[in-house]
Amino acid sequence: MIIVDEVYKRYQTDHGVGKWVLQGATFTIPPKLNVGLVGRNGAGKSTLLRLIGGIDKPTRGRIERRCRVSWPMGFGGGLQGVLTGRQNTKFVCRIHGHEQDLADRLANIQEFAELGDAFDEPVKTYSSGMKSRLQFALSLAFDFDVYISDEVTSTGDEAFRKKTSEAFEKLADRAGLIMVSHGEGLLRKFCTAGIWLHEGKAHWFDRLDDALKAYKQSIAV
Amino acid sequence: MAFADGPANVQNRNFVRSPASITWAVWKAIFIREAVARLFAGRAAWVWILVEPVVHLAFLNLLFGFIIQRVVSGVEGGLFITTGVLGFLIVQNTAMRSKEAITANTALFTYRQVLPVDTVLVRAALEALLLMMSALFLVTGLGLLGSKILPHDFLLVMVALSALWLSGLGLGLMLSAATELVPEIGKVTDMLFRPLYFLSGVMFPASAIPPAYRDWFLVNPFVHGIETLRVGFFPQYHVADGVSLSYLLGFALVTVCLGLALHVRFGARLVME
Repeated sequence: MIIVDEVYKRYQTDHGVGKWVLQGATFTIPPKLNVGLVGRNGAGKSTLLRLIGGIDKPTRGRIERRCRVSWPMGFGGGLQGVLTGRQNTKFVCRIHGHEQDLADRLANIQEFAELGDAFDEPVKTYSSGMKSRLQFALSLAFDFDVYISDEVTSTGDEAFRKKTSEAFEKLADRAGLIMVSHGEGLLRKFCTAGIWLHEGKAHWFDRLDDALKAYKQSIAV
Repeated sequence: MAFADGPANVQNRNFVRSPASITWAVWKAIFIREAVARLFAGRAAWVWILVEPVVHLAFLNLLFGFIIQRVVSGVEGGLFITTGVLGFLIVQNTAMRSKEAITANTALFTYRQVLPVDTVLVRAALEALLLMMSALFLVTGLGLLGSKILPHDFLLVMVALSALWLSGLGLGLMLSAATELVPEIGKVTDMLFRPLYFLSGVMFPASAIPPAYRDWFLVNPFVHGIETLRVGFFPQYHVADGVSLSYLLGFALVTVCLGLALHVRFGARLVME
């Protein structure tokens, strides 16, 4: 369960305090529910995911994670460019307390990511699709209750998309998913509930279709 | 889908790690990551870490070694300069390397387990380890060339080195946070560290400064550490009045506390890219 209570967020910019990105977002995500997050560019979707992932702290308000939540995967974040895929993988295993079964996990991640020899090349030489593969394989290696995906699937090729779909489907019965995507099909496939971010407020919909409808109406005007 | 519900996952289901064990795991992971990046970055990068101080010292010795032996009584020129340079480098390298720890590790803050302060602390520790290794290498080398290298007060040497390292760490903690918030501070401190090399008594003893200006000279805390280091090495060393290790330790304590306070206060903003 994830509780987001009256969350306000604004950033410090080079010229003073920025505008409010979130203004009193409030919702509760029950366990094992897959939620799609929609809203126009700059509505604060990624900001909200960072806050839920615990990377950043809200300016005001409270976020409670009563379960294991993954880091937000997407856009090549969390990978150190000068290190190889293998070294990055080892690092992530270590900080998650898997020093003992490191070899097993490493083998699994390597197999799932299907990077071949590139696994031992520095991550800065990877394409965005390859980064996505590694990130996705990394996050699946740990037993999270909720996975946060910030367009992680959008850069992959057809084979990778198929693989992520299968993985997400398998996860569905034991874990939840919070997903940002501009691909409507993808959202419909995996998510049951929806959150529409609009003008700093979060609107909760029990059915994703309603969230998509509200979102579409707002951009049509 | 090989592993999402493998036995290892089921086993760890209800196992919650304590904050201390998480921090320890993070420190170990960052340490390995930093050490790998430092030692194997380029072709035989670890060779340069050893060779650089040797060249630095050989050059200084050529310039000042003989003069020092004549002017300063009770010391050996080579070892005198070595103590000065090592004492200064441990402050400068620790401060400067850990200052950049946050910028170099931005990508890792995607994982909420990793805090900016972790990267700074680990970098400072790694720097101490590397400098100790090149110091051993150097001093052993001087020993093979015939110097009397064993310090007469080993404990005092260790305390002085620790105090110098701690003030480097304190500066690193403060500067790493400060430069992320106000980038200009980094440029200013880089400029300030250059003259400090000459004002810290690396190549001359504090007693060589005329008494009229010595009070000003002794405002610099690093002088106290370097001079104490020499007291530990040379039994006959004539140390200037007013040199006090407590002054340096006080400086270290204040900077470490201030640095940690900055990290506590601005921690969330340091994570931002």
